[in-house]
Amino acid sequence: MISQKTILKHPLSVRIFHYLLILSFLPLAVTGVFLYFKPLSESAMNLTMQIHVVAGVVLTLDAIAFFLIGFNRVVLFLKRIFYFSINDIKWFAILGGYPQKILLRKKVVVPSMGKYNSGQKLFGICVLIGGTILIFTGWILWALPHLMPREAVSLLGTLHTFFAWVLTLFLLVHLFLGIYMFDDFKAMILHGKIPYDEAKEMAPLWVEKEIISISENSY
Amino acid sequence: MNVAAKTYQKGEIPGVIAIKASACKGCDACKRHCPTGAITGSFGATHSVDVDSCLSCGQCLINCPFGAPYETSDTVDEVIARLKDRNTTVVGIIAPAVRVAIGEDFGLPAGSLVTGKLYGSMKKAGFEILDNNFAADLTIMEEGTEFIVRARHAVFGEKSEHGAEIGPLPQFTSCCPAWVRLVETKYPTLIPNLSSAKSPQQMAGTVAKTYGTKVWGKSAEKIYTVGIMPCTAKKLEASRPEFNNAYEYNKKNGRALTDKPYPDIDTVLTTRDLSRLFKKLKINLAAEKDADGGSLLADYTGAGTIFGNTGGVMEAALRTAYAVLTGEELKPLEFKPVRGLKGVKSASVKLKDTKYNKEVTVNVAVIHNIAENIKPVIDEVLSGRSPYHFIEVMNCPGGCINGGGQPIYGNGSSWLGAIRPLFAWK
Ligand code: SF4
Ligand code: SF4
Ligand code: SF4
Repeated sequence: MISQKTILKHPLSVRIFHYLLILSFLPLAVTGVFLYFKPLSESAMNLTMQIHVVAGVVLTLDAIAFFLIGFNRVVLFLKRIFYFSINDIKWFAILGGYPQKILLRKKVVVPSMGKYNSGQKLFGICVLIGGTILIFTGWILWALPHLMPREAVSLLGTLHTFFAWVLTLFLLVHLFLGIYMFDDFKAMILHGKIPYDEAKEMAPLWVEKEIISISENSY
Repeated sequence: MNVAAKTYQKGEIPGVIAIKASACKGCDACKRHCPTGAITGSFGATHSVDVDSCLSCGQCLINCPFGAPYETSDTVDEVIARLKDRNTTVVGIIAPAVRVAIGEDFGLPAGSLVTGKLYGSMKKAGFEILDNNFAADLTIMEEGTEFIVRARHAVFGEKSEHGAEIGPLPQFTSCCPAWVRLVETKYPTLIPNLSSAKSPQQMAGTVAKTYGTKVWGKSAEKIYTVGIMPCTAKKLEASRPEFNNAYEYNKKNGRALTDKPYPDIDTVLTTRDLSRLFKKLKINLAAEKDADGGSLLADYTGAGTIFGNTGGVMEAALRTAYAVLTGEELKPLEFKPVRGLKGVKSASVKLKDTKYNKEVTVNVAVIHNIAENIKPVIDEVLSGRSPYHFIEVMNCPGGCINGGGQPIYGNGSSWLGAIRPLFAWK
């Protein structure tokens, strides 16, 4: 029998942070690719850069606000993404069973995972480090190039481009898997909750070790 | 060549600086260093140089973090070919600011003064040496005495000895070609205010192909003059068609061997170009032994030496003017109020004109980094409200020492005192 029980996976503060992340990072990635290849007319390139800047400011404010308001969530997130075990190696050995599931329609045994699987943890680490570098370098390149030596600005420019590409390519995978795991997608975009059964299957360690039942029928 | 260029004479290099589109990130940093707004392109789009308003100063080149601007004129290989030609005497005219910067390119600490090693390396490469400091001394004599003539004309109504027209006050210095081009293209009514003295580079070229023929025992046609400058605008200056005075002089005196006019300066290498030339010839300047210049043309005074810094020309000119007017040497010799990196420096000097037995006060100003500082000074002059009698103008922040042809110092920038954020948008 399928249980109707749900688990709150993404609280409101996280969802708001994520909405703003979508609003800022998606335009940043798209405009960033345009800025890299410069295929448009002068005025269109200018508009592209302006969108890039505005989205960058939104991303910065979003990150700062979440850090201040949701500090406990940030700490939890850090703890989770930087916790590694032998299961992570095993998970990467079979890529979480996704290629088998998607391409061969075959279910393989996947090592038990916590709230985030190993791929999500890696993505989380990249977003955390790459995102911080992108925000920092972006501000210097846009507003403060005069406070840095010329070669430092050049190096920051290279770092900005490198991490932008890493995160943009990761984003494509994230978008695909995010939508593929539709319950998780709905949880992040709509109500924050995922079915208990799915959580038990996808993140058994999280459910076993961290989830506290509020009441039998609670949602 | 840019055929659409309108502000160049025939024969001039129409813009020494261009921007490589593939390297440009559209970041706008260069625009903030450009004295004339010659860089076009919106924030985010590829930028380019409008050659008609460009002064060829190279400030965008040394300050672009991504190495997108480049020089359109590169004659390093041509100079090497001339150095190998036994029939040609190649004269290297070394500007003051080159000797304190080129060491960096050979691993010496920034700011090392390497005059002896530079002479040694140049001799090894096959150059004869004409130190531009020598020519700077000539410029000082010219500019200093010209100022006295203008001042005596303005104050005592004195007429020119030769009946020539005397320029108005304030007198502007004329040794920075970027500044001269700014006046010619944007403020033509101020052309009479520019000193009529040629820059040290151009004086040196004329000397090399006239007096130098005796020093090196070669006809002017066989002398190839190379300005070695901290400055990209000097490439444009050397290409000005009117700068063939040595040819005119030699022709008038029956010493020209050909009817084909030759320029006073055949080509210009920047400090960066010269280090590239040395490297191509496998000369390690840092390891070279000190040498001397080899002729009177490499002798100079301390006044010529300070030309490369903001305030240097003014200080040197004031020493000359003081000596001519008072018959005494300025004491102390250093004129500190015009030194330092303040955008506009001004000072008043009281001196007694012994010819008229009258005390006069001379107000001087020194301006560098014209992108930031020139506008109010020019507005005052144009409206007739300028308190100054003599104004030194250098395009680059800090003077030629930070010229567009100097080694690119990755650890620094030309943003002098800029702290507030700059939010690029349009
Ligand atoms: S500073 Fe360099 S990269 Fe930036 S817009 Fe100017 S030329 Fe292009
Ligand atoms: S060379 Fe000088 S004047 Fe010309 S575009 Fe560059 S900064 Fe502007
Ligand atoms: S200040 Fe010196 S280096 Fe700069 S443009 Fe003028 S002459 Fe050239």
